[in-house]
Amino acid sequence: MLSNYVPILVLAVIAAAFAIGSVVAGVLVGPSRYNRAKVDPYECGIEAPAEPAGPHRFPVKFYLIAMLFIVFDIETIFMVPWAVTFGSLGVFGLIEMVLFVATVFVAYAYVWRRGGLEWD
Amino acid sequence: MNPSNYLVLAAILFSIGAVGVLVRRNAIVVFMCVELMLNAANLTLVTFSRIQGTLDGQVIAFFVMVVAAAEVVVGLAIILTIFRTRRSASVDDVNLLKY
Amino acid sequence: MSVVISAAGSGAGPVVAAAATTIDTPSIQYLQLSPVLIVFGVAMAGVLVEAFLPERARQLVQPLLTGGGFIAAFVAVCLLHAHRGVLAAGAVAIDGPTLFMSGTILVFAALSVLLVAERKLDSAGGTLVADASVVPGASGARALRNARGMQTEAYPLMAFSVAGMMLFVASNTLLVMFIALEILSLPLYLLAGLARRRRLLSQEAAVKYFLLGAFSSAFFLYGLALIYGFAGSVELGRIADAANTVGRHDTYLYLGMALLAVGLLFKIGAAPFHSWTPDVYQGAPTPVTAFMAAGTKVAAFGALLRVFYVAFGGLRWDWRPIMWAVAILTMVVGAVIAITQRDVKRLIGYSAVAHAGFILVGVAAANTEGLSGTMFYLVAYGFTTIAALAVVTLVRTGDGEASDLARWQGLGKQKPLLAGSFAFLLLSMAGIPLTAGFIGKFSVFEAGIAGNAVPLVVVAVLTSAIAAFFYVRVIVLMFFSEPTGERPVVVTGSTLTYATVGIGTVMTLLLGVAPQPLLDLANHAAASGFVR
Repeated sequence: MLSNYVPILVLAVIAAAFAIGSVVAGVLVGPSRYNRAKVDPYECGIEAPAEPAGPHRFPVKFYLIAMLFIVFDIETIFMVPWAVTFGSLGVFGLIEMVLFVATVFVAYAYVWRRGGLEWD
Repeated sequence: MNPSNYLVLAAILFSIGAVGVLVRRNAIVVFMCVELMLNAANLTLVTFSRIQGTLDGQVIAFFVMVVAAAEVVVGLAIILTIFRTRRSASVDDVNLLKY
Repeated sequence: MSVVISAAGSGAGPVVAAAATTIDTPSIQYLQLSPVLIVFGVAMAGVLVEAFLPERARQLVQPLLTGGGFIAAFVAVCLLHAHRGVLAAGAVAIDGPTLFMSGTILVFAALSVLLVAERKLDSAGGTLVADASVVPGASGARALRNARGMQTEAYPLMAFSVAGMMLFVASNTLLVMFIALEILSLPLYLLAGLARRRRLLSQEAAVKYFLLGAFSSAFFLYGLALIYGFAGSVELGRIADAANTVGRHDTYLYLGMALLAVGLLFKIGAAPFHSWTPDVYQGAPTPVTAFMAAGTKVAAFGALLRVFYVAFGGLRWDWRPIMWAVAILTMVVGAVIAITQRDVKRLIGYSAVAHAGFILVGVAAANTEGLSGTMFYLVAYGFTTIAALAVVTLVRTGDGEASDLARWQGLGKQKPLLAGSFAFLLLSMAGIPLTAGFIGKFSVFEAGIAGNAVPLVVVAVLTSAIAAFFYVRVIVLMFFSEPTGERPVVVTGSTLTYATVGIGTVMTLLLGVAPQPLLDLANHAAASGFVR
């Protein structure tokens, strides 16, 4: 069944030939006149400054709150379908959802006790 | 509209994400490209769910969203730590382990 | 996944079921699922301990809780040994390979807990950092280095990771496999960044591992989506049925299979997806490296075997050439690059790559012998690697582990017993007779020959010879060179680490001298095959 791979091989060869061919053609055909401005990121205007160093642009607290929000917010994705079909799922659905919520509360307890919810 | 158009769109998004991971230098942007790949997979799942008339694909998409959220939290925490250390999120600066 | 509301036709939008209809709720066999549930429960309890106990108590309670939980789960696995079947509405499969690999993962995890719990190593409190959020180089970082105690969150993280590994080898649908993949990976990304010394390297390892890991799991997920498009289901058995239907081979199937393989081969550390392995092995705290090297390898090979033997078993003539190519590339890359390494942890990292290649020979054999040989090899490799990395934690200089190989010169004269057992472990990795590594290599190569993969086995034997060169070089360095420069100090009195070295070395010897009981167990587990 190795013949199955022949098209992939052909494609790989064509792709490689195209990539190498384009570069080689560019070098052979194109004119090359040296000019220092060509090496710069922009050919006019002021030099682009490096990525700004210095103090944090945002306090880390914002990230922390954002992360906690995402984790606890996304759980609703399971609760809404469950609530819609609650009548059909019956006791089994209730037990499973209680287990799920208890699991989420374990994480909540950790965040609360470790001060993740305090702003200062 | 022909649903297979969405499959093509998803494939394009996935490719953009994959190329982005390989060429971008900022860890946050690299990570956003990974998220784009995950969402492309989600779009594929939902489209196939529609084509085949089963709800499996949509249920899987829900699970993927939750997993992606957990991944975001862990990833941001790690990137944030290294950013606080180096004041830069460029993956090119992460080079101590290279010989 | 059996809760499919088939009323949603292809043309109409999603149909909301009338409130009166009842959905068939799946039955959950809590007893048969108990090993995974115990480990998840221990992880939850660990989080609660973190929340409510004072710091001092945590240092004591967490290792006992986590280690005890792993042992309890191992007992549960042993009690379940005769069970076979598909549980939780087709989500999880309990069969011979699942139980064998779950047990293996739990043993390795328990050994790793011993290494993590070691507090006598650094001047203060073990190899894990006391407070991961302190910025390296900032004021207080030096005090942090000498702070007593450690970030005890490592224990619940390990427990979550182990639960993910056990679910990974047991999952019977690709969705459960994807979730298990993330449960096992996310804690490992965090654990990799917790080293007490060389914080920058450790954080860098965490970033690299995370970005590449997330990249590869995106490939796995896209593969899952395409397979769902092909088969209309993500249950491995149904995928196999769809793939075996004549005339249904199409692009989605092959593309999906390839993308799933990328995700799984990344976790294994097979070339060309191995680039994270040496970096993460070097940067992560050594106990975490040991846990990752042994546990992840078992879990990832378990999942790879299940996907390719169950879902794509009928297509083995299509995937075997690829598996061959990957195995050959992995063996050659691992063995050749390892020769140039000067850092002992990087050396073990590249040796892990080479070993992944050898184990892939068993996978590529695609027969029952291949399955049992792979499982035996994983056990042998795990014990050897954990013990070898435990030795690495013991050989130290003033600023942490003496991971530079030049420092190891003449260690044999200073500490003959420790250096001797390290030499023995290296010989096992090289596959010298009377060690576990030899029996492991022998059984996968035998399976390869039985599976008509003779050229592959020839390459494997040749690369084994190359690999033996750099293991022997380290032994020569330890025993036949004079020490130069600053000599490392070998820590004494750290009972837990010495116990780990002892257990690992003795098991390596036992599996080399009297391998039959474990071989029988692996054969027995493999004979019944995968359920679906």
